[in-house]
Amino acid sequence: MAIRTTTTASKRATGLGGITGSPLALGIVAGLLVLALGVPLLHNGYYENLVRSILMYAAMALGWNIIGGYGGYVSFGNVVFFGLGAYTSAVLAQSGVDNVWLAMPLAIVVAATFAVVLGIPILRLRGHYFGIATLGIALAVQEIVANVDAIGGGTGVTLRQAAWYSQYYYAMWLVCAGSLLVTWLVARSKFGYALVAIRENEDAAAVLGINATFFKVAAWAISGTMAAAAGAVFAFATGFIDPPSAFSVDNNVFPIVMVLLGGIGTVAGPVVGAILLTAINETLWSHFPQIHTLFFGAVIVVVVLFLPRGLLHLQQQRGGVRGFLDSLSAYRV
Amino acid sequence: MQLFLQVLVNGILAGGILAVVALGFSLVWGIMNIINLAHGSFLMLGAYLSYVLFTSFGLDPFLSVPVAFVVMFVVGFLIQKYVINFVVRAPILTTFLLTFGLSLLLVNLALLVFHGDSKAVTPAYEGSNFSIGPVTIAYTKLWTLLVALAITGVMQAWLTRSKLGRAIRATSMDIGAAQMSGVRVANVYAIVFGLGAGLAGASGVLVGLNEPLNPTMGDAYIIKAFVVCVLGGLGSVQGALVGGLVFGVISALGSQYIGSGLPDAVALVVLLVVLVVRPTGIMGKAAA
Repeated sequence: MAIRTTTTASKRATGLGGITGSPLALGIVAGLLVLALGVPLLHNGYYENLVRSILMYAAMALGWNIIGGYGGYVSFGNVVFFGLGAYTSAVLAQSGVDNVWLAMPLAIVVAATFAVVLGIPILRLRGHYFGIATLGIALAVQEIVANVDAIGGGTGVTLRQAAWYSQYYYAMWLVCAGSLLVTWLVARSKFGYALVAIRENEDAAAVLGINATFFKVAAWAISGTMAAAAGAVFAFATGFIDPPSAFSVDNNVFPIVMVLLGGIGTVAGPVVGAILLTAINETLWSHFPQIHTLFFGAVIVVVVLFLPRGLLHLQQQRGGVRGFLDSLSAYRV
Repeated sequence: MQLFLQVLVNGILAGGILAVVALGFSLVWGIMNIINLAHGSFLMLGAYLSYVLFTSFGLDPFLSVPVAFVVMFVVGFLIQKYVINFVVRAPILTTFLLTFGLSLLLVNLALLVFHGDSKAVTPAYEGSNFSIGPVTIAYTKLWTLLVALAITGVMQAWLTRSKLGRAIRATSMDIGAAQMSGVRVANVYAIVFGLGAGLAGASGVLVGLNEPLNPTMGDAYIIKAFVVCVLGGLGSVQGALVGGLVFGVISALGSQYIGSGLPDAVALVVLLVVLVVRPTGIMGKAAA
């Protein structure tokens, strides 16, 4: 293929202090997360649902960021793990176990197994091939689930919720905090550096003795467990799951846009993106319910064109407004 | 045996449309390295254009094929020239998401204008058919296949013989060398994306003759176009044609003998098998 990234572009991609991203942003995000523990004490159902939704998207965005941001493998089907997690809860609930704390670890095991089994053939594919293969997996699994009558088929499953509803909030908080912690640990470890090496040049990484297959499959499995745990909690929190809600396009693409908006390949970026995009989405939804998806499409286009590397990367930008404008045409033909 | 023959013929008839759908997708991917997730929404716009022309002016759907091609060419040209060209050399995630955002915009605009209920293009000759032995063939489907074959033939001749066609192929081989030879790459890119959109629009008219119209009708075709490209080999006209026909037959057999509720699952299995067994596609050459 004749398209090459320019040297300035690849410098921009790697020229960060370490691979965790800005410590300040990480501190703020961690602080906000601690504050979020207090939300159920407000006894306001709207805020509790809203913040739980932010926590859910943050966990999924953090998950996508491991494989897509650090590993450079653009997955367009991570919603499959979310759906598998949700259906793990649904199957448990069907067999009489209405316990979200049991569903979470089980969903993690299911997702990790699925990621390893499918990851070994799929992660041999690079670039667009991997992206579309993952999209195909998400569509295919949704179709298969919709055709299995034992788990509700196309009609869905109703889950009985516990009397103490806020436990689902705390469960989601735990999923998000756990995902953030794991991402931070990954970014500081050899594992994280191996992923970045694979992202920048997989063949060179292999020459240096990095077992690319192992790291890619492990990254996809970790990525999947975060989405699956979020899905397991989501199923109980909403009390009803069917194939379109468990494998929705929104849940597939929101996390990717959040990572892009916040800062790809950073620890705090996905959470920042989740907070901002959920806020934008909520505002659009309440003011323009009819055309809110249309606006969302426009938001994606604007983010991609004007913030191609995310907010957290803006602080590395030199040269003020002029430098920012110049950077916009870095990929122009 | 009779059923098998009928399914086989249906598969070939459907495969002709798939070839045209995949042809535009394949050009854009092969020449600019863009996976155009808005391809399905271009297809949908083409179908609605023929619906509007048919219901308002009584224009025969087959006559709106060239109209849809021209209109969607202009739309695609402008989108590439004033939007995608700004980020075309960025990592793949950028163009992936950008075209996805465009697709959301177009599908939801169509929802506002045409609403979500299904519509149909029903010319007078719809439903009439003829039989060869045990096999029944609908006239619309046969004509659809012939138009699809004609479009691929014209595209092949144009790409190999015209000056612009050569410039396009030169750009896909080596962008720097093409630029030095006086090819204006930004314009070539806009033309290629316009062609992709135009072919999507034309194929949308053909799709609209054979299935109901709704704003999300194009989504299913993106993954199919991808599978056809991989199956036939990327960036070649013959590849799209052979891939389309083969995939049409596999889908028809799959939904007859495995289960009609699983078209995407069948497509994915085909995709994975091809990627593992023969990653360059049926018509593709081994990678250099």
